[in-house]
Amino acid sequence: MNQKLVNILLVEDDEVDVMNVKRAFSKNNIMNPLFVAGNGIEALEMLESKIIPLPKIIILDINMPKMNGIEFLKIMRENEKLKNISVFVMTTSNEDSDKINAYNLNVAGYILKPLSFEKFLTSVATLKNFWQLCEM
Amino acid sequence: MRNTTILLIDNRKTIIETIKKSFLEVKIKHVLFTAANENEAWLMLDGSHKLNPIPKIILIDVNSTNNEGIDFLKAIRNHPDLKSSLVFVITDSKQEINKEAALQLNIAGYIHMVFESGKLNPSFSILNDYWNIIEF
Repeated sequence: MNQKLVNILLVEDDEVDVMNVKRAFSKNNIMNPLFVAGNGIEALEMLESKIIPLPKIIILDINMPKMNGIEFLKIMRENEKLKNISVFVMTTSNEDSDKINAYNLNVAGYILKPLSFEKFLTSVATLKNFWQLCEM
Repeated sequence: MRNTTILLIDNRKTIIETIKKSFLEVKIKHVLFTAANENEAWLMLDGSHKLNPIPKIILIDVNSTNNEGIDFLKAIRNHPDLKSSLVFVITDSKQEINKEAALQLNIAGYIHMVFESGKLNPSFSILNDYWNIIEF
């Protein structure tokens, strides 16, 4: 995917975390268009109504109001138009049940949000390298 | 991040050896098992040669065979204990006959590689960094 910048949808309810992702993208020179949804319901509305161009990548939080990340994933994987999108869970939830459910729904990775911003920057840099390595 | 086990499936002996060498050079700590074909791999995942623990990561070139690779991935996705596997397609084929079919099966990444000594290390270095930031 070196040549074209695929769209990325961030599904995250915490405004500070949204800001951290935006800062980490900026510091790592990630220029991909980034769209933000505050929970699973909002994300589904954005995807199904085509308010945003279809993303190739979704960064997904788990614990969110209205519809959490796992519930969102279940619905997404049953939708013909959405089921192939690559999903990267980025969460503070270290619950085994969340990890098992997420991998059973075929996420590409389950990443625990590091507590320090510096470590978060490194994780995002690693993600960027991985995205550039993969064909989408 | 804990160390995990990886199963590499390829019917070309020289490529398996080159990848093993790259794992050593990049100092990948995850344990690598190899299978010469999909049947052999299946015995290691759910048969008489079942590995314990079951590998969480599968590396396969779906373009080096006709449909065997895709059929194998379908069987994995339909198996209750294997469906959560993280599958990375690594391929040196310019004919991407099975790329779309693989992407439909929610693989974690579709990656072009040059299977030559030395040339693999940058790609496996990125993959190793990625494996080290994700939870299993």
